[in-house]
Amino acid sequence: MTTVQGSAIGFQERAGIRRTLNAIRNYSLPILIALVYIVASILVPQFLTFETIRAILLATSVTGIIAAGMTAITLSGNLFSLGVTASVVLSGVIYIWVGSASGNIYIGAIAAIFAALVVGFAQGFIVGLGLNPVVVTLAAGAIIYGATAIVTGGKVVAAQSRELGRFATFAIVGIPLPVFVLVAFTAVAWFLTERTKIGRNVHLLGFNKLTARNSGISFMGTTIWAFLIFSVGLGVAAVLQVSQTLQVQADNFPELTMNVVAAVLVGGTAVTGGDGSPVKSVIGALFIATITQIMVLVGVPQGTRYFVLGVVVVVLVVTLHLLRKAGSR
Amino acid sequence: MNSTAPYRLEATGIFKSYGAVSALIDVHIALRPGEVMALLGENGAGKSTIVKIISGLVSPDDGTIQIDGEDVLLNSVNASQAAGIAVVQQEFSTVGTLTVAENLVLGQRGAPWWWGPRKLNSSAKAILARVGLADLDPSTLIEKLSVAEMQLVEIARVLAKDAKIVIFDEPTAALSDAEIERVLKVVKRLAAEGRSIIYVTHRLGEVFEIADQVVIFRNGRSQPSMDVAELDVDKVVTMMIGRELGDLYPQRSEALGEVVLETRGLKVAGMRGEVNLKLHRGEILGLTGQLGSGTTEIMKAIAGTEDVLAGTVELDGAPLDLHGRRRGILSGVAYCSPDRKKDGIFRGATIRQNLSSPWLRRVSRLGVVIRKQENNEAVRSASHFAIDQTRMNALVGNLSGGNQQKVAVGKWLGIRPRVLLVEEPTRGVDVGARAEIYAQLRRLCDSGVGVIVSSSDTNEVLGLSDTIATFYRGNQTAHKPAGEWTEPELVREVMHRGEVAK
Repeated sequence: MTTVQGSAIGFQERAGIRRTLNAIRNYSLPILIALVYIVASILVPQFLTFETIRAILLATSVTGIIAAGMTAITLSGNLFSLGVTASVVLSGVIYIWVGSASGNIYIGAIAAIFAALVVGFAQGFIVGLGLNPVVVTLAAGAIIYGATAIVTGGKVVAAQSRELGRFATFAIVGIPLPVFVLVAFTAVAWFLTERTKIGRNVHLLGFNKLTARNSGISFMGTTIWAFLIFSVGLGVAAVLQVSQTLQVQADNFPELTMNVVAAVLVGGTAVTGGDGSPVKSVIGALFIATITQIMVLVGVPQGTRYFVLGVVVVVLVVTLHLLRKAGSR
Repeated sequence: MNSTAPYRLEATGIFKSYGAVSALIDVHIALRPGEVMALLGENGAGKSTIVKIISGLVSPDDGTIQIDGEDVLLNSVNASQAAGIAVVQQEFSTVGTLTVAENLVLGQRGAPWWWGPRKLNSSAKAILARVGLADLDPSTLIEKLSVAEMQLVEIARVLAKDAKIVIFDEPTAALSDAEIERVLKVVKRLAAEGRSIIYVTHRLGEVFEIADQVVIFRNGRSQPSMDVAELDVDKVVTMMIGRELGDLYPQRSEALGEVVLETRGLKVAGMRGEVNLKLHRGEILGLTGQLGSGTTEIMKAIAGTEDVLAGTVELDGAPLDLHGRRRGILSGVAYCSPDRKKDGIFRGATIRQNLSSPWLRRVSRLGVVIRKQENNEAVRSASHFAIDQTRMNALVGNLSGGNQQKVAVGKWLGIRPRVLLVEEPTRGVDVGARAEIYAQLRRLCDSGVGVIVSSSDTNEVLGLSDTIATFYRGNQTAHKPAGEWTEPELVREVMHRGEVAK
């Protein structure tokens, strides 16, 4: 039988270089994080303490869960949902209201996730009709923000009892519940995108929309599924976030959308779709939380923190992009 | 024409190769002022490469180009324009959202930036009159024009540059008869003004109407230039083909099975006439025609991705749902697009993921992909199509064109197709892989699948098919067994269809 070989010589060599570049791309972030931890633990005295690590993990949990879900949208070729902040506030308000009214935090959490699913489904449906995801999710974010501000009168919605904070305070061997939820949700998101038919279709749609259509993969259906995976994560993260603060206001968490997008990008999922994984995005979120926490410890003012973080994200994303280009040549 | 005048353009000893493939071998063309030279040849014969070289898009490996007796270096589009060469592209380069007048001044120096619309319009008016568009309002948006008018504006843009040598690259491919007349009239006028014209076409009728000399390309070589008066259609066709059908193609079916697919009075968006086709089990039905003949629309309609205006398609006697690819796939209709990079393969995904993409449902349980089953099935498809089974995790974008095409076709084996539709099965595929793809299509056929192949390569259609249906400008023109066609007949059928009187 005739076998498939590239033009004899050179092929093996090129494949070798490609493999090396791809390996660098795949493992660069974990190695970088390890280096950051080593350097920081030497230079920053209070860094390697239980409290710091706990704070980093807690900060990672909210961004990480949303980023893991967001990865499904990015993989499907639909870029990002830019309405994260508003949706988290909405779900948070609903958690406090329903949780307080029913006196049951589980019913509150389910209501919050359900609200996120409804809002996410609507956005997925509109994007599935062929509208630009950036425009749709930005507009949806504005509408949700506006509606929440009107209904709450712009005032702080606070929990009546500390009972509503149990999801955040509950800890196993000192590690708070949100961290376990992060691990569990990441595993679920990974399974959904990497092992299921829907997940495969999400990847394929991101690789090539037209080929997907010719292969019988529904753009509408797959896009809606991606938004639903994202919405579950968003609802869960909102409950965990509000459990920590025990109050929420329409203009809370302004930096959350950008942090989630940055986590996905730094993690190495392709903006154009197809290539990537939720696990990478969670590692990206961990990286961002680590850098932020170090700067907090060292006493860097907030403005400078944003500036530094922005520069780091841009440098990493550009580097990853160049590596991907070289690796696929 | 004045046959003693010095050459306006002369290209000698032009060589060009892409990797191991020789695109041009020792090509020679020469053109006098006021002359129209027609370039003819099959797809891939080298016509477009020589046009690209003269227009400065591609540099030759060897050879000299002289204009008015002096050597010129055409190493960029600017250099070519400066030498007085202009190209009317097959695809429009006009900008739809600008006006006619604005398009005429785009990319040229004549009009200073401070000219207002009125000044632009009056200068455009004069140019438009020369291409027979005197009545056209220069402030019309380009996107409001008919295809022919766009083509004429395209020509007007070239006139605005006042070129000595004008190259037309299949300017009439998408036009109707009356519209073609307008374009040809303008070409004749340009020649009468003393400009030299190179005219690339697939339509023989036009050649006899406007050309003075004909140069035929075959396998990258140019044949000696011939005076059009010495030629007739049969001679041209024989020279273009210049070879017998080799043993590239597998044996035809001995006996056909029962009818598997039948179209009845099918009317498809973008076509004029009804399509009535019958496909049997074990049969390869070849559809052939030029760009704009409608073969693509028919294939897409049966696949479920083109609007059907009237008529039905029956699969094994039951009506086939033509709404979307999904239902077609469930009924066992496979479809390979003509442009695999665009919509046939996932370049970033692995061979296995590509192969399993249309039939993931079958290897999934409760929505979870059973990886072992997926892999086994994918390996089976790969072995059928001679795809290296040890490279199932290689990205398809890194494979050669031939192997990509094998993946694009091979992925359909897993849906257990009853009908396989393949457009341009071997575009951009080297000869070795071509033979393999033909053999696989035939083997599928022998296992009881009905295959429809559409191709603009008449040689391929003739060699591969059991039955051939021809199309011309949106109409089905003939449908008969391959044995009843000769290649010259077939070429003539798809090319001019009564446009030439002689």
